[in-house]
Amino acid sequence: MATTYGKGSQSSAVQWFAHRITGTFLVFLLITHFWVQHYSRVTASVSHSVISADGAHAGELPEYSEEAEAAVRAARTRTGGPQPERSRAVTVAFQGERSDGTAPGPTHPPAETDAITPYDVLMLRLGDPVYAVLWKGFNLLFLLFALHHGFYGLNNIMTDYIRNDLLRAGASALSWTIALVLFVIGAYAVIVAGL
Amino acid sequence: MAVVTDTALPLSAPMLGADVEAHPVQRYRIRVGMFAWMLHRLTGLALVGYLVIHIWGLKSITNPAAYNALIASYHGPLYKVGEFLLLGAVVYHALNGMRIVLIDFMGWSPNQQKLFWTLGAVAAVLFAVGGYPSIAALVDYFSH
Repeated sequence: MATTYGKGSQSSAVQWFAHRITGTFLVFLLITHFWVQHYSRVTASVSHSVISADGAHAGELPEYSEEAEAAVRAARTRTGGPQPERSRAVTVAFQGERSDGTAPGPTHPPAETDAITPYDVLMLRLGDPVYAVLWKGFNLLFLLFALHHGFYGLNNIMTDYIRNDLLRAGASALSWTIALVLFVIGAYAVIVAGL
Repeated sequence: MAVVTDTALPLSAPMLGADVEAHPVQRYRIRVGMFAWMLHRLTGLALVGYLVIHIWGLKSITNPAAYNALIASYHGPLYKVGEFLLLGAVVYHALNGMRIVLIDFMGWSPNQQKLFWTLGAVAAVLFAVGGYPSIAALVDYFSH
């Protein structure tokens, strides 16, 4: 068996090997991702505060640590933006007009307010003038490995349980098409974020 | 990983011909190793589902207002419970996957009980330490 790995047209040894490699790398990528997005006191945009559905609907935002606030303040100093003044129970109106008559939205993002927003915290990494390239590269690698690993695993399961040849081939083609579409969506979002 | 099915087929071998007619639905004899393998597949399927939703949500990072609204919704009580379950699925799938990789590449036995229980202990610690902030935040939220 070992001498025929990768040689036959029916061999999936390369894919099998890639599944092990992507899986191993994903462990380390996931540890980094969880740390920077969930546990770091500076860069975690998903904090450990809880917001009710009504609060989220009213525009309530998560609470962030003093370290995150200081980092956002430093970033705003570099870019000349307004300084954050509040760090707890921040509420930003997403709909309707603000007191100055401007409508929040893509052209008037919450980053222009005095509140720390999840987007501000995200931009500490993806909008950094020096390290953004590294973080975007990390995210693209993470995206590629996660999609290959996940959808190859999904195809393994479908191969085991779908016994009709035509149906199995169709399901496989559909799943890899979805994976490709997701990669394009994710890669585009990561690349243009903060530009 | 050694897997025993009621048809005594090797791992992942599809049933063919008469076997398919006799057993139209795949059935398994549940043992510890088999349970670990099934849970690996179930958590894998759940993680693929989550991955699709998560990447679809990534579109919002090109729009600050949409991203803020998305992240605010991620802080809902139900999402916090989901975050805890997600951590459990990731930890289990990752560590059992590492066990499979070590068996495949290091030549260790699938019956390596010490490896199984060592990784089980590591998983329990990661689950407890990693999940504590989410659960503590939920307890704090509901107690006020």
